[in-house]
Amino acid sequence: MAGVPGKLRFSLGSRRSPIGASAISRGALAGPARISSGALTDPSRPFRFRFDGRELAGLAGDTLASALLANGVRQVGRSFKYHRPRGIVTAGPEEPCALVDVIGSSGREPNWIATTLPLQQGLVAESQNRWPTLRFDLRAVADRLGRFLPAGFYYKTFMTPGWAWERLYEPIIRRAAGLGRLAAVVPVHADPAETVHEHADVLIVGAGTCGLAAAHRLGAAGLRVILVDQDVAAGGGTLLDARWSSWRKSVCAALPQWPALRCLTRTTLLGAYGHGVFGALETLTPQESARFGGLRERLHVIRARQVLLASGALERLIAFPGNDMPGVMLAGAGLSYLKRYGVAVGRRPALFLNNDEAYEAVFALAAAGVQCAGVIDPRPDSRAAARARTLGVAVHGGAMVGAVHGRREVETVTIIEPDGRRRFVLEADALLISGGYTPASALATQLGATLAWDESLAAFIPDAAVAAGRIAGGARGVFGLAAAARDGDAAACAIAAELGRAADGASCPEPPPDAEASPLRALWEVRARGKAFVDLQNDVTADDIRLAAQEGYEQLEHMKRYTTFGMATDQGRLGGLVGCAVLASARGVPLPEVGLLRARPFAQPIPFAALAGPEVREHYRPRRRLPLHEWHESAGATFVTTGLWLRPLVYARESGWSPVLDEARAVRKCAGLTDVSTLGKIDVQGSDAARFLDLIYANTFSTLAVGRARYGIMLREDGMLLDDGTTSRLAPEHFLITTTTANSTAVLEHLEFHLQSTCAALDVLLTDVTDQWAQFALAGPRSREVVGPLVHGLELSNEAFPFMAATEGLIAGVPGRLFRISFSGELAYEIAVPAAQALTVWSALLEAGTRFDLRPYGLDALNTLRIEKGHLTTAELNGNTTADDLGLQRLLKKQGDFIGRTLAQRAGLNAAERLQLVGVRPTDRSERLRNGSQLVAREAPDVSLGYLTSATPSVEFEGWVGLALLSGGRQRLGQRLLACSPIHKETVELQILGSHMLDPENARVRS
Amino acid sequence: MSGPESTTAPDTRAGITCAPLAVDVIELAARRERTQVLKALAARRGLPLPALGWVAAARSTLVLAARPERWLVLSAPAPPGVALSSWRSACAACAAAIELSSALSALHLAGPAVRDVLARGCRLDLHPAAFVPGSTAATSMAQVPVVLSMLPAGWLLLTPSSTARHFREWLTATATPFGFVSAAGVTVASLSGESTQ
Repeated sequence: MAGVPGKLRFSLGSRRSPIGASAISRGALAGPARISSGALTDPSRPFRFRFDGRELAGLAGDTLASALLANGVRQVGRSFKYHRPRGIVTAGPEEPCALVDVIGSSGREPNWIATTLPLQQGLVAESQNRWPTLRFDLRAVADRLGRFLPAGFYYKTFMTPGWAWERLYEPIIRRAAGLGRLAAVVPVHADPAETVHEHADVLIVGAGTCGLAAAHRLGAAGLRVILVDQDVAAGGGTLLDARWSSWRKSVCAALPQWPALRCLTRTTLLGAYGHGVFGALETLTPQESARFGGLRERLHVIRARQVLLASGALERLIAFPGNDMPGVMLAGAGLSYLKRYGVAVGRRPALFLNNDEAYEAVFALAAAGVQCAGVIDPRPDSRAAARARTLGVAVHGGAMVGAVHGRREVETVTIIEPDGRRRFVLEADALLISGGYTPASALATQLGATLAWDESLAAFIPDAAVAAGRIAGGARGVFGLAAAARDGDAAACAIAAELGRAADGASCPEPPPDAEASPLRALWEVRARGKAFVDLQNDVTADDIRLAAQEGYEQLEHMKRYTTFGMATDQGRLGGLVGCAVLASARGVPLPEVGLLRARPFAQPIPFAALAGPEVREHYRPRRRLPLHEWHESAGATFVTTGLWLRPLVYARESGWSPVLDEARAVRKCAGLTDVSTLGKIDVQGSDAARFLDLIYANTFSTLAVGRARYGIMLREDGMLLDDGTTSRLAPEHFLITTTTANSTAVLEHLEFHLQSTCAALDVLLTDVTDQWAQFALAGPRSREVVGPLVHGLELSNEAFPFMAATEGLIAGVPGRLFRISFSGELAYEIAVPAAQALTVWSALLEAGTRFDLRPYGLDALNTLRIEKGHLTTAELNGNTTADDLGLQRLLKKQGDFIGRTLAQRAGLNAAERLQLVGVRPTDRSERLRNGSQLVAREAPDVSLGYLTSATPSVEFEGWVGLALLSGGRQRLGQRLLACSPIHKETVELQILGSHMLDPENARVRS
Repeated sequence: MSGPESTTAPDTRAGITCAPLAVDVIELAARRERTQVLKALAARRGLPLPALGWVAAARSTLVLAARPERWLVLSAPAPPGVALSSWRSACAACAAAIELSSALSALHLAGPAVRDVLARGCRLDLHPAAFVPGSTAATSMAQVPVVLSMLPAGWLLLTPSSTARHFREWLTATATPFGFVSAAGVTVASLSGESTQ
């Protein structure tokens, strides 16, 4: 054969079909292979587009694939492993080969499916997986080395030397394999995305005759129906058969009369997720996209009471040597390109078919004036073959295709006898194949359907009914458009009955009868010399499967993982059953014993952006804003995100410690005001409120007097510290808990959990009032003088309102709450008022403080103050610390139970060498400290004794101060250790101190 | 054959109007086994407490039952603390009265596209047959909690005030393709015009 192809290509090139030639001469139809105006293309709207740098012409309504075929472009990519030239195989989303990069405004996007990508004016696409060019790909040498690259080759070939895998083999393989490539720098994805939640009585998947008939029935019954179809129009197989056009038009015209029925075309069902939840991805039309600000895809989350799977069947391939060559295509795809887009996929195509249904392509090509090179059919004869002969098409019965030859695309087809003897060679420029039809059972199996083998259809058929749903038409092996329509109608009646609706409305028009068909003959593989592919996308051959079986990977799922069969994005839709049959034959067992690959969501590749929806960038998580956010902004605050909150870090735009220390110094010297509204606040009421808090907190609250606050700690069930904060008793049966900002949600959940499970009998009501109350900390030696004039009728003397007092009253004329609690270590008050009145009270406090040089301070200054005092934040309450670790052991009540008590007694949680909280200062006061520095002894610098949790320059002391968790820390007071920060190349000698460095006697807070 | 989304031109009509609602909110939470006492007390005050999932309207007040044994009482703004103290003293024995006027931010939505917009964030079935006027539900939209109520005069949304701006940004962005119009504030009285249960 070697010398023939070149000449033959030349001769074929001169032999154009008369219709094709006239079309080109008219110049009205874009592309030389366009022989008529298809049902979907609009000859009045020509589009220009580029593929691999070539400027080509197409029509509105084309897909990229149909436009490429119309221009005679056969080869559109290189294969995954062997870099073999590949063409367009299908006309739908099941396409394994024709994946392209699209270069758009937001950069290069890989793996667009050319067979579903709508052509647009100016579209720029490039082929994938080739270097330097599609025609000449250097890595195609992999094809020649094929026998050294069998299934699992990387497990065998690249074992030695051990060092070479990471440094040599893996980089090379990664570069050579894979499809598509992302831009080196992923651009900021500017495209919007959205998710829509849909609800229906019935979801119908597939708008072929089966789905349309069912929709008609259910719509007439008044049910809420969502009908989805991945195609650009409803109709399925009727779009390819003129006899059905009036039926389709009549049904499609009837559906809009039922407002509860919606039809979503261009919408692919991605998966069935149980409990009636389905995911579907809609591709928007350009007009719709423009309306929604450039939105391309819309994710639908559909919740349906019942589902009808009418997803039809998929044509499958036949494995034979060269079945991946550009020009080899499914027969149904050839029919589709002709009918929908007016494109003849070859000037002289041959066909290799084992079933009567696929002969529709023969009849259509003949009717369009395309001369078929011949039909090869393993069956000696059939009804369809007889009809083809009457149309003048040569049908070679009892024969098979043994090989396909050509330099880059199909040029000749070798026809062999069933016993392998060569019969003759046929000149053809395309080969349309059909190995029968496999019901699209992926969704059915996701819903729990079992599959049964049907010998007469040579296919696995799912059960007719699944949980809350039915399967009808081609999806359960009922083939033929009319038979599927009847089956869909019957399933719809059953569903209507299930939902308690009478289904006696007008039914569909009578469908045209199905042609009588002779039975198919199962044909999986033609065994001859050469690579016969069962998985085109992952380059898996029938020989690979036999090798896997031989090496012990006999079970289907093992074989799949060993060979990568069915693991590509198409999940082996075209050749899945074929590969299973090859495995069955290799093992010598019947096919049903092998089973079928299980398809999983997503049914097709889906952009991450579509899943993310609008929750990207600044809306990735909600931002919580303080009631005074605008005031802080106007006061020049720099904000920091803590949890979901935006908090003022410092009232300065410049960085550096100076403004922070100014703020902190003001608090120590006079007074400062800070917004602590982010603290979690939980209102606890009920006759058992005190009892409940005694159980929740490790210390006692039932003894707390009304009008007093108490610092409390709560443990997790496992004995570790959960949170701390002050809780006030506002009335005998009314408490207010405050939590740390970071833990507010976790604490509320913890409380709710115990209230609903372990304490379900208690009369307690929990309400999150965090957003209700704005809360300000007024701290500093002059704070009493600032707030005093604003609280009418309230005596603030130490005797009347001592440390840890709490009361309700009017503050600057606003009903609020006043607490005498301190985080800074100074005399301090916390003022809580309804958030809507926050500005009134905040402004009044600032005004009242003018003569005391009162100034606002941010989170950084607050942190400086609390580190000096040794108060805790989530840096220390980090989930790994116990009450004892943080020096809070004395708070644990001696009698009575509380959450976490038992497990806190574990020996490991009370070991002497545990990390304990200490204060630290550098011996050399000029040196700085860093959070996260490791503490080591000078004599053992490789053994970490703990680490710094917090550090700040001090306003009270000279130089820096910090808090650290140190092994056996309380026994080390006075020692000198080193703080090492290797990434900063810093080592600082420290003094170990008690954690309450400032005012350990608490004289200031009581002043 | 196409769905309702096949409108081609950008929608310039007001598909959805959004207005802030100034409102006082008191949550009544029934004490354990005191629900009937609370209901009787509320009824004596001319305010029947609806069943879970429903809204009741009376005397320029709306009562939403979006959580079990809890009711949100919405009334026209009064000076701070007034609404609370009247309830707190009345129901001390049978319920906790908690002021949430500042905690919740209220929006009123109306227009033909409200359902289309809400479906882009809300998992609930808002079809007129499923979520009839007078329905209320606690749910989550745009990652924040929302109490959603359907009234004869439109939709009422209550969201936490700290995330109100985030929610409003999401709503504006989502509603723009449908024609989004910001309107002046509405009053509780105008929403509670007729009894809905």
